[in-house]
Amino acid sequence: MIGLPQQRKTLCRRMSLLVKMAFLVLTMLATSEAGHATTPQSFQQLSAAADRARERSRDDDAIQLYRQALALRPESAECLWYLGLLLYAKNQFFPARDALRTFVALRPETGAAWAFLGLSEFQVREYARALDHLRRAMATGMGDDEDLKQSVFYSVSILLSRLEQYDDSIGMLGAIVNTKQCDDVIIEADGLAGLRMPLLPSEIPQDRNELVRLAGKGVCAAQQGRVDDALKSFTTMRDSFPKEPGVHFLVGSFLMNTRPEEGIAEMKRELEISASHVPARNRLAEQYTKSGQYEDALKSAREAEKLEPKNFSVNITLGEALLAKGDTAEGIKELETARERAPENTRIRWDLARAYTAIGRTEDAKREKQELERLQQQNNFTDAKQE
Amino acid sequence: MVLQRPSRVYFSVMAVLPSFVLFLLLVIPAFAKEPITFEEISEQAARAVAQDRSNDAIRLFRAGLKLHPGWAEGWWSLGTLFYDQDRFSDAAAAFRRFLPLTPKRGPAYAFLALCEYETRDLDQSLRHFRAWASSGWPGTRETIDVAVFHFALLLTREGKFVEALYLLTPEVVKMGNTPALTEAMGLASLRMRNLPEDCPPERREMVWLAGQAAAYAEHFPPDYARADEYADRLLVHYDTQPEVHFFRGTLFNFEKKNSAEAEREFRKELGISPDHVPAMLELAAIDLGDDNLEEASTLAKRAIQVDPQNAEAHHIMGRVWLAKDQPEPAAAELETAKRLAPTSSNVRSHLAIAYGKLGRVQEAKAEAALAISLKKKEDVPTTPQEKLKLATEPEQR
Repeated sequence: MIGLPQQRKTLCRRMSLLVKMAFLVLTMLATSEAGHATTPQSFQQLSAAADRARERSRDDDAIQLYRQALALRPESAECLWYLGLLLYAKNQFFPARDALRTFVALRPETGAAWAFLGLSEFQVREYARALDHLRRAMATGMGDDEDLKQSVFYSVSILLSRLEQYDDSIGMLGAIVNTKQCDDVIIEADGLAGLRMPLLPSEIPQDRNELVRLAGKGVCAAQQGRVDDALKSFTTMRDSFPKEPGVHFLVGSFLMNTRPEEGIAEMKRELEISASHVPARNRLAEQYTKSGQYEDALKSAREAEKLEPKNFSVNITLGEALLAKGDTAEGIKELETARERAPENTRIRWDLARAYTAIGRTEDAKREKQELERLQQQNNFTDAKQE
Repeated sequence: MVLQRPSRVYFSVMAVLPSFVLFLLLVIPAFAKEPITFEEISEQAARAVAQDRSNDAIRLFRAGLKLHPGWAEGWWSLGTLFYDQDRFSDAAAAFRRFLPLTPKRGPAYAFLALCEYETRDLDQSLRHFRAWASSGWPGTRETIDVAVFHFALLLTREGKFVEALYLLTPEVVKMGNTPALTEAMGLASLRMRNLPEDCPPERREMVWLAGQAAAYAEHFPPDYARADEYADRLLVHYDTQPEVHFFRGTLFNFEKKNSAEAEREFRKELGISPDHVPAMLELAAIDLGDDNLEEASTLAKRAIQVDPQNAEAHHIMGRVWLAKDQPEPAAAELETAKRLAPTSSNVRSHLAIAYGKLGRVQEAKAEAALAISLKKKEDVPTTPQEKLKLATEPEQR
């Protein structure tokens, strides 16, 4: 089962992890320490005694000795690393965080350290920083510890929802369920992201537990391609909670590709409940563009733009609707605005490349294609690293 | 354990290394790469900063400060380098050393306060944010934004909810409903003395909904439709929770809607929280406006009983006595209000009326003059920070 180490794992498991992590960084540390001016015997003695205490599972002694050693040499990466891990294993997340922060400042290339730092920050509820540092761990690579990686992936996905980045959260969870069952932990996280609730699983109000569970079951089934199961969960959810914000949007998003008429009806129902729902308007506009109802598409997209003038997704939808309608100049303008706001977005580059080609701006089209290839390569590389 | 062996070997080598290095330094001085003089160190430290070699810079600044502990620039640079690495405890120590060495303390107060916030030295942090505010809110745009945000969080924790919202509003106008600002607005709007990090998990959704509603109401131009949408969602799920109806009533007042709706919400709040002084005062003001003097009097007296140091409670009580044409008790209440809120022009103007009715002409004139001067200051267009200056300085409270 995937989960936060504090909640899910035994101390034994953690200690085994410590040893594994130690292996990851020790080679690097052996050379790095040599760069420092030498210090009195006492540092050597203290750190050696700390190592011995740690090896014999006398964690409290080890922590004390590492602290004493660090008082003599505050930037001993080896001592900081072990101190951070021991404190983390003992659920002392504030001091663990501080030790690991100093460690990553000295050794920023150690992905596992970013991971433990991010997990410590998660525990002390510094969520924005935790997300940054866990993402850094993913980008740097965390060795071959599957438990650590899963903890990091799971934590990132629930933090993304907490910080209102729901689509990214669903994307991460989708990657996790490729290789796993839809267990309760994943279902909760999927439910929150699907309903666009900016909460952690521990923050779900009691009266919404069932709603989140049904939504999560549906999302997870959809992620695994079990369409009938997904539809069953979504239908039960909609019938049980017809007035809850987010419910009809979720059902509508699911239905839009296979049963667009029903999808549109669900989106409209969502807008009756949540009048300012921008993603529902955006999704409607996309669907209208797809079915050639350009005026409806533009109306919906313009409403979304009015609500969130700086939302690049709305610029994309608007741009695509204008292009489809034949208003190439305005469409390109919208897409260029979207590109300015989200330069790493591949869909914008693809749209622009096609639009420039259509009006003979071959150089611009070429540039967009090159950028698209670069971004795709970059994404593949990141994916591979995360794999 | 085998894994430790390489490290041990290394430590053994390190034990003889100093003598060897000393030998090299003595015999072949040209090989010594470490700077020796303070000037060399400071020059190399500056170069390391410019080249983004933070760890080298930290090492060099530390070496320089060992030679010259009074090197103000060194402490400042060391503090900011640590701050950038999220090493807040070390950064705070450096900023504390920097402060007595410089006449321009403003920005350092902000950084020190931010470090103290991160190390959970919260009372000190608030004290230093106030010192920063008193020195004119200096710093780069980015520093000011971060400092204002954290200052507001600490004011909320202190129970200074209005002041916190005053600080947060311009940030919302500038940056929109970011998750952090939404949370901060929600806590202050629901009058919760919590930092985001210690908000009870079961209240998270409530805080978020209130924060969204408050933030949309503060947009420029205000988006009241969206504010109402979130406020209504808040009521659907948290109808029985304290502060929710007071917030809804305040929002109705803010939107300048029918005050009957606001009044209904304030009464509901009192039903849930019988000692809710701000709700009592809102209702007392409404009653006073409607000439329901007995009801206004009952509410104001009750508010004073619950919170004797509340200036507005004494102010309203004074106004009730004035409305009843009893200037003597009115003056007594308004004098208390004046003592508690010396910069309130409204209190002064009502006190002037009371003195006038008592035939204390000179005092009435003096209070009226002060009321006019204070009112002029209130009306001068100024930044929220300047307006807040008096409100947030402890000696003024």
